[in-house]
Amino acid sequence: MLGNILKLVKKEIQLEWRQKTALGTIFIYVLGTSFLIYLIFQGNITIPTWIALFWIIALFTTVNAVSKSFIKDANEQFYYLRTIATPLEIIFSKIIYNALLITVLALVIYGVMILFFNENIADKGLFLLTIVLGSIGFSNLFTLLSAITARTQNFVLLAILGFPIILPLLLLIVKMSELSNFAIQQKDIYMNLGAIGLLDVITLILSVVLFPYIWRD
Amino acid sequence: MKNWWKYLCILLLFYTVIMGFLGPIPELNILEESIRNLYFHVPMWFAMMTLMFVSLVYSILYLNKQKIDHDIKAAAFAKVGFLFGLLGIITGSVWARATWGAWWVFQEVKLNGAAAALLVYAAYFILRGSFDDEEKKARFSSVYSIFAFVMFMVLINVIPRISNSSLHPGNGGNPGFNSYDLDSNLRIVFYPAVIGWILLSVWISTLLIRMEKIFRKKHQLDIE
Repeated sequence: MLGNILKLVKKEIQLEWRQKTALGTIFIYVLGTSFLIYLIFQGNITIPTWIALFWIIALFTTVNAVSKSFIKDANEQFYYLRTIATPLEIIFSKIIYNALLITVLALVIYGVMILFFNENIADKGLFLLTIVLGSIGFSNLFTLLSAITARTQNFVLLAILGFPIILPLLLLIVKMSELSNFAIQQKDIYMNLGAIGLLDVITLILSVVLFPYIWRD
Repeated sequence: MKNWWKYLCILLLFYTVIMGFLGPIPELNILEESIRNLYFHVPMWFAMMTLMFVSLVYSILYLNKQKIDHDIKAAAFAKVGFLFGLLGIITGSVWARATWGAWWVFQEVKLNGAAAALLVYAAYFILRGSFDDEEKKARFSSVYSIFAFVMFMVLINVIPRISNSSLHPGNGGNPGFNSYDLDSNLRIVFYPAVIGWILLSVWISTLLIRMEKIFRKKHQLDIE
């Protein structure tokens, strides 16, 4: 099982790498949005606004990047994948791949935001941890939801389904980002990290348990 | 008597409305007469949570048994639950205006959580409308509904406790209602009100299910 998952993740990365336009689209999207926001705010924002903007850009980029994760498997590939892998292997590989993709994209956004706004979070290590945990949570949720929406012709659906459901996680992540900039009590940090980790686990379990019902046709 | 619970529902709601508006209440600053809203605002959320839970159970049943009957029920309970959620928001908003001075208070995580929960279920209805195939619609929306319920619970139970910035009684250092109603005048109306409103919500749901089944029979669709 583990070997198959790794192979499938490798397959995803190779496919993505071959279609450089798709990858390029997402990166230009990130750059374009960040630049736009930089100009709108005239390069002058406080840290709370910085954090809010960072996660808004990350959320929208995630929706765009993840929305296609099942569309390219919609036709012939779908039947081929079903013969060579179990649903569990498929969902794990997609979640791992999407988590990697979202983390890389978030890091790019982070770099661009530092470059443009000249502001940075005080505790960078903690903020990076928040980014990784947040990306895993984003991936858990949006991978399953994109499997649902890939079967409809409604392309706005992923955002509609995803935004209210991601809200608990997003609120915790924003709080965590603010704590990584300035925390009065060490206790708050542990509590928030624990809550984010717990949500990551819950969403992962839900996705893995429910995916087989979506995958069969 | 087969429909005893419907008579009980009518009885309890009459009692709620009459005692709710005329019964004795503790004298409190700021809250004053608005505390009577306790019999209307809070039961709405109890009813919504009950119906959403029933809807969740039917969604799980559908995934296990693949009977379209379960999906019809899951959708109907969610619809009525949504209605009661809306009523909860409206009664809460009126109450907030009277006591906190504004229709909507940002610092109030429970308000935002409730609004987000309604959005989650609104998305559920949109999802149901996006499929042509009956079976796919039932299966995918059941999956989403399970997700929706878990996040709904996190939104209104976990987040308010962590964020610690609620104006509601019993949250964020505010005293709960229990410390006020020493004479338990509130309690003898509140508990019947909760049961009455929940029964009403279930009653409306069963009517909705019957309507849906008649509609499907008329169009010769599967109802099992």
